[in-house]
Amino acid sequence: MNLLFALVIGVLFGSGVFLLLKPDLFRVVAGLVLISNAANLTLMASGLTRGLAPIGRAAGDERVADPLVQAMTLTALVIGFAVTALLLGLSVSVYRSRHSVDLDELSRQQAADAVRREAREAPHDEEHELDESDEQRVAYHEAPT
Amino acid sequence: MSLIALPLVILWPAAILLALLDGRRRGPGMLAVAALAASFAALAVLLANVVADGPQDLVAGGWAADVGIRLRVDALGGVFAVVSCGVLLAALLQAVITGVQARVTPALTLFMALGLTGLFLTGDIFSFYVFFELSMISAYALTSARGGGRHVSAAFIFAVVNLVGSFLFLIAVGALYRATGTLEMQAVAERAAPIDPTTAIVIAITFFVAFGIKLGLFPFHFWLPSVYLAVPPHVAAMFAGALANIGAYGLLRFGAAILPSELALSAGALIAIGTVSIAYGALQAIARRDTREVLAYSSIGHAGYVLVAIGLGGPVGLAAAVIFSIANALNKTLLFLASELRGRLTATAFLVGALSVAGVPPTAGFFGKAALFEAGIDAGSIAAVVLLFVGGALSFVYLFQIYQHDRWRPRAEREREMPRGHASRGQRSVALTVAAVVLVLGLWPEPLLAIGEHAAGELLAGGAAR
Amino acid sequence: MTSVLTRMVSRALLAPTLVVAAAILVKGYGDVGDGFAAGIVAALGILLQFLAFGRDEVAAALPVRHARSVALFGLSVGVAVFAAPLVLGGAPLEHWPPATQTPVQIGSLELITAVVFDVGVFLLVLGSAVTIIDVLTAAGEDGR
Repeated sequence: MNLLFALVIGVLFGSGVFLLLKPDLFRVVAGLVLISNAANLTLMASGLTRGLAPIGRAAGDERVADPLVQAMTLTALVIGFAVTALLLGLSVSVYRSRHSVDLDELSRQQAADAVRREAREAPHDEEHELDESDEQRVAYHEAPT
Repeated sequence: MSLIALPLVILWPAAILLALLDGRRRGPGMLAVAALAASFAALAVLLANVVADGPQDLVAGGWAADVGIRLRVDALGGVFAVVSCGVLLAALLQAVITGVQARVTPALTLFMALGLTGLFLTGDIFSFYVFFELSMISAYALTSARGGGRHVSAAFIFAVVNLVGSFLFLIAVGALYRATGTLEMQAVAERAAPIDPTTAIVIAITFFVAFGIKLGLFPFHFWLPSVYLAVPPHVAAMFAGALANIGAYGLLRFGAAILPSELALSAGALIAIGTVSIAYGALQAIARRDTREVLAYSSIGHAGYVLVAIGLGGPVGLAAAVIFSIANALNKTLLFLASELRGRLTATAFLVGALSVAGVPPTAGFFGKAALFEAGIDAGSIAAVVLLFVGGALSFVYLFQIYQHDRWRPRAEREREMPRGHASRGQRSVALTVAAVVLVLGLWPEPLLAIGEHAAGELLAGGAAR
Repeated sequence: MTSVLTRMVSRALLAPTLVVAAAILVKGYGDVGDGFAAGIVAALGILLQFLAFGRDEVAAALPVRHARSVALFGLSVGVAVFAAPLVLGGAPLEHWPPATQTPVQIGSLELITAVVFDVGVFLLVLGSAVTIIDVLTAAGEDGR
């Protein structure tokens, strides 16, 4: 059983890291979900015991399963769930403001933005300043949550 | 109700309530400030009690001691909780006075304070993880709260890198539970000694990587500058002054208290990584011009100092790590808060922060650096003393550069880059209060030094008891 | 547009999914299951509808717009059960009747206050999961 768990955890973590290195936001999120599940499985594996449900008093000398790892894993699952939702929200809002989820494309856009900003700052007049703050305000309203 | 639970009991309902309200209005903002101030006061009283009477315990829900979830406060956790809560209070106050831009900012700040207070006050490894994730999730959300492409990409990278760290931490928690069969920090420390050294060192390294990522140490630093640049200054102050404490506290708690022999074994590696962090942070900071970028890189350097102090070890080294972390949290908060304000008084506040980072008396930073020197001399390491001296000199150079760049320029040029106008009285007074705290701790450092030594003594006593 | 088969299977699966969720919810006291798992299973059933029919049709057929209120209601039920013993002078989350008394039973379901707490958790998880699905699908469809 331990070997099986170790193998599954290894495969999950490895696939997660593989996806994490892809230049696509949604693949990165999927990779992170796999890594989080590898961690959850590690928690389960850290207290693998066979026995009765740990509710009430056990009759006689029957063994009781370790309830702690179940509780920990459940908590970790909930946290992983919240984090996945947050990351998906972030990816969607990147997609909406940049129309791309490709990390290379995003960094290219960012570099272009930086150049534009520098060029704008050199002659500098107030009109552009206003433009920029308007842009930010609009972007804020569009963002979910 | 014991005093330990009081900060959590104040923050939890307040945070949930504020999540439903529009934080851009003044009322909810002031409510958040009031809740933070109340829990800050409770924590300060708690810390005073702990320093006077020793650590306190509370098992939640009236359960038996080894069944329920334990809250435990000692000098180390108490002082980090007080500092973090104070930093968040100052940053939030500044944000509320300036005008909050995103409706969720006050609620997220309270959730972050809740997570930080919880993790500093818990005596259970798994609750540590839960509180830690609570504060980190608030941090991810705070980074992206302002919207716009650039911030969101920074938030995404921040979240992904730190989540990998969190999951590594979780795996290490599982491994430690497997090896010791308990989650309670004290019991884990007692049972950790006889476990197989190979297993123990793997667990220790996993913990180190997890906290190294949070702290922004050299090989794990790449997320840090882009995040500090993308967020508004008060959020950067929260990250540098409060959130970074998790890394220092985690290394002290899990290294010095739970796995001390593994810490001693890896002392050389820690000092080496710390040295690289110091050099990298300082050199990168000198090469930058933007104030916040300089401060971000200087944070990487300061994480290195903490690591060197922990590596030097012993009562003096651990005390130095605590004292330096606290002084550094205050300095960074002050610098980030003052960096965006104009006017003569805030320039003075900024100068106080800069001198404190460089370690010039009479500021809190001087005693942070002095404690590090003492640790270096105590360990008989000339290299460490030279390193600290060079690092201090470099930090003086980069801070002088940004001071000159920001404040010593023709007025018209300055106004172009900081178009916000003069700082209002409220904004000024927050920065000046933090500056006053830094100065007072520089003139009257006994409480700071006493708490540092107290915390180090407790850590070592916990390690020796096993 | 998805194929007819997908749409039919998704529609046919909704009711069984909700029944399974209810079973997981009530079996949690002597067996495997709890409010969180039940909420997730129910949300998966609804996610399937979103995938098969698209956001507009689901919004017309199911009360998705109330998901936020459901989540809030669930949260308040949970908080109430958490805090009620504190008011009555016990420890938080203490259930009633206590372990020494035999509770009222309906079949194998034991009626104790912990069931109410789990129903609160179920509603909270279902409501927030459906809200998340709704927000994310809305964002995805806007972007296209």
